[in-house]
Amino acid sequence: MEDRVVSVALDEIHKRFDANEVLKGISLSAHHGEVISVLGPSGSGKSTLLRCINLLEVPDSGRLFVSGEEVILKKTRDNRTVPADMKQVERIRSKLAMVFQQFNLWSHLTILQNVIEAPVHVLKVPRQEAIDRAKMYLDKVGIPDKLEAYPAHLSGGQQQRAAIARALAVEPEVILFDEPTSALDPELVGEVLQVMRTLAEEGRTMIVVTHEMGFAQEVSSRVIFLDEGLVMEDGDPQTVFNNPETDRFSTFIKAMV
Amino acid sequence: MFSLHGYGPSIFEGTILTLEVSLASLFIAMLLGICGALAKLSRARSLRLIAQIYTTTIRGIPDLVLMLLVFYGGQMFINQLGPMLGYDGYIDINPFIAGVSTIGFIFGAYMTETFRGAILAVNKGQLEAGTAYGMSAFMVFRRITLPQMVRHALPGFGNNWLVLIKTTALVSIIGLNDMVRKAGLAAGATREPFTFYLVVAINYLVITSISIYILKQLERRYSVGVREF
Repeated sequence: MEDRVVSVALDEIHKRFDANEVLKGISLSAHHGEVISVLGPSGSGKSTLLRCINLLEVPDSGRLFVSGEEVILKKTRDNRTVPADMKQVERIRSKLAMVFQQFNLWSHLTILQNVIEAPVHVLKVPRQEAIDRAKMYLDKVGIPDKLEAYPAHLSGGQQQRAAIARALAVEPEVILFDEPTSALDPELVGEVLQVMRTLAEEGRTMIVVTHEMGFAQEVSSRVIFLDEGLVMEDGDPQTVFNNPETDRFSTFIKAMV
Repeated sequence: MFSLHGYGPSIFEGTILTLEVSLASLFIAMLLGICGALAKLSRARSLRLIAQIYTTTIRGIPDLVLMLLVFYGGQMFINQLGPMLGYDGYIDINPFIAGVSTIGFIFGAYMTETFRGAILAVNKGQLEAGTAYGMSAFMVFRRITLPQMVRHALPGFGNNWLVLIKTTALVSIIGLNDMVRKAGLAAGATREPFTFYLVVAINYLVITSISIYILKQLERRYSVGVREF
């Protein structure tokens, strides 16, 4: 663990929305190849934490590093924190990929077009190369026959798998999953978790906000439990699940079952 | 059935001019509409205020009154500006430019509202996905918002376009030889107003019908990928 490369590091990240302080000083580093499950009750700040990593939300204070590069933040005159250099933010975002709860595939594009969009237009990968790569990833997520389909014509599970292919296609340093199975019908959850399990086994770096205790326990290499904006548990799944340090986690687990 | 007494070519010329005025006005209206919509949705309060004043004023004054104001007011303004810039002659405003800019300006306000609604109808999550994958704000607009807002904008846009075509009839009062004015001249000379205004009415109907057909095709094209209801 010690000499492994740090992909993402957060240092004392704070974030508030008006009067509500959602993150109260989060420090965390994700190493290359780690699969981190972020658990926590709703309102604990886990989605906000994920969204701070790719700056969909800008932290109010604290430091953020993505593959060794620190994101430079500055204060505006009305005391909001904003990125100092949008070009840097766009570059950093292009190294991360995000899988959303609501899939958020681009509905006017076919599945193939969805998957090549960021490689071609953001990363400037030659079109044919992007197409070849897209086909490979769509094959990997198990929907090689949906290239020409539009998102609306796919089931939720297929859409989410297409969204995972879109994430893989940018060959990201880290994939951020924001409750990837929460919007799915129960019978479709398995197919998405299966794809995520395969990715974990390939050694991809993943940070997964989830309510799937099975995934957290069996697939992830590390579990983080967030409550009221603070990290309450951080460790390997066996330790955290069997010997939690806090009562909060035990209560949370009991409520989940 | 009825004779145009040799005024056919003249009416035809007028029809061409009507089309030119319509298309040129539409172009200006679309530009102003996009700018207006973006201004209304921007974070800058001053831009929102300017756009709000624009749409409120324009939509609250009759088109005819506005056109006369721009035509005569513009004339006054330019002729006061001329001497200041060292030009002493009298400058006539070209009625084509006056007509097109007025109609463009008026319908820019309506397009602003149509486009604003269309932009708001685009799914926020999809825009966020663009941002998350490293697109700049402009790229998100160009690659995601724009192609998707077309579908939401088309019905309102079609309405505006049909009304715009009919509004071009007003340019005849500032001396532009559109088909209404040509018909008026022919009617005066032949004393058969009904014949010529009927021809004009049919011409408008043909133009608007073709427009409706094209709009329908566009709506179909831009609905690709969206579940049919």
